[in-house]
Amino acid sequence: MSGAEAEDPHAQMVRPFLHRNLPLQPLSPDSEVPGQGAAVRAYAMTGGRAHTSTQLEFETMMQATAGGREALTAVRFERADILRLCQSEPMSVAELSARLHIPIGVVRVVASDLITDGFLEAFHPSTNVADDVLLITRLIAGVRAL
Amino acid sequence: MKLVVAGGFGVGKTTFVGAISDIKPLTTEAAMTSYGESVDNRGDVGTKTTTTVAMDFGRVAVDDAIVLYLFGTPGQDRFGFMWDDLIQGALGAVVLVDSRRIADSFPSIDYFESRSVPFVVAVNRFGGQMFHSVDEVREALSISPGVPVVTTDARGRLAVKETVLNLLDVVLQRAMAKAKTN
Repeated sequence: MSGAEAEDPHAQMVRPFLHRNLPLQPLSPDSEVPGQGAAVRAYAMTGGRAHTSTQLEFETMMQATAGGREALTAVRFERADILRLCQSEPMSVAELSARLHIPIGVVRVVASDLITDGFLEAFHPSTNVADDVLLITRLIAGVRAL
Repeated sequence: MKLVVAGGFGVGKTTFVGAISDIKPLTTEAAMTSYGESVDNRGDVGTKTTTTVAMDFGRVAVDDAIVLYLFGTPGQDRFGFMWDDLIQGALGAVVLVDSRRIADSFPSIDYFESRSVPFVVAVNRFGGQMFHSVDEVREALSISPGVPVVTTDARGRLAVKETVLNLLDVVLQRAMAKAKTN
């Protein structure tokens, strides 16, 4: 942040990203996001935050709660898109990013907020999967059967 | 759960993932913002550039409760930062090798070894041809004795399945060894 912002306590309360006049570029040259408006919206949504309270990995599965399904008509933009895709069955962070054409970092932050609001729940393994002998054995059996 | 598929550019990562995936491989994007020093304008904080890093991935429903994701690493080496995110919570990795461009796989092997990520090296048989033997590949890439070097065919579902099982075997051995010491 610049010196002027550090002196002004009000400026510091505004999310740094929204306060600065930064040129926002399209997500990618051939992105299917409809126009730059969507890119502006996505970053404005997250306010430039990079860290989330609940660490959501690329493969973390999430699903809308009953409250989330009810709130569907009351939320908008990325929050609505994510809840809609997670309504009937769990969907991973990566799939939401790919299907909605939202950067994975944005999905993480928006989903994290939805979880905090009680609209979305994430399924985290109780132990480190790499150490789970039973789970790995089960996975091997399953892959063999493919 | 997830596995990572690495290897040089054009080695067949997405093909490999697609061979076993229930869905056609999807692409997720990560946006990376970097600040560069602006030499001309001393009043500026610097120039901001936004790069997007694309990763192809697939999904396999292994049984009614387990979904396995396979993520291809981003193409270029300079996106190394994304790899740390990718391996976070991953079971292990498959390093694909093109026997005509063996050296391309070295950075991946180096990375997984330094992070102690279980991995196998799989030499992709393009059209059934192998330009170097498995032993030659092992020597050329200085692969540790404990790391399996196998052959595969990224286009073949059965071959890809076999390679995934090779990797899961390594993962299981490690998990069992760790369980013994606890």
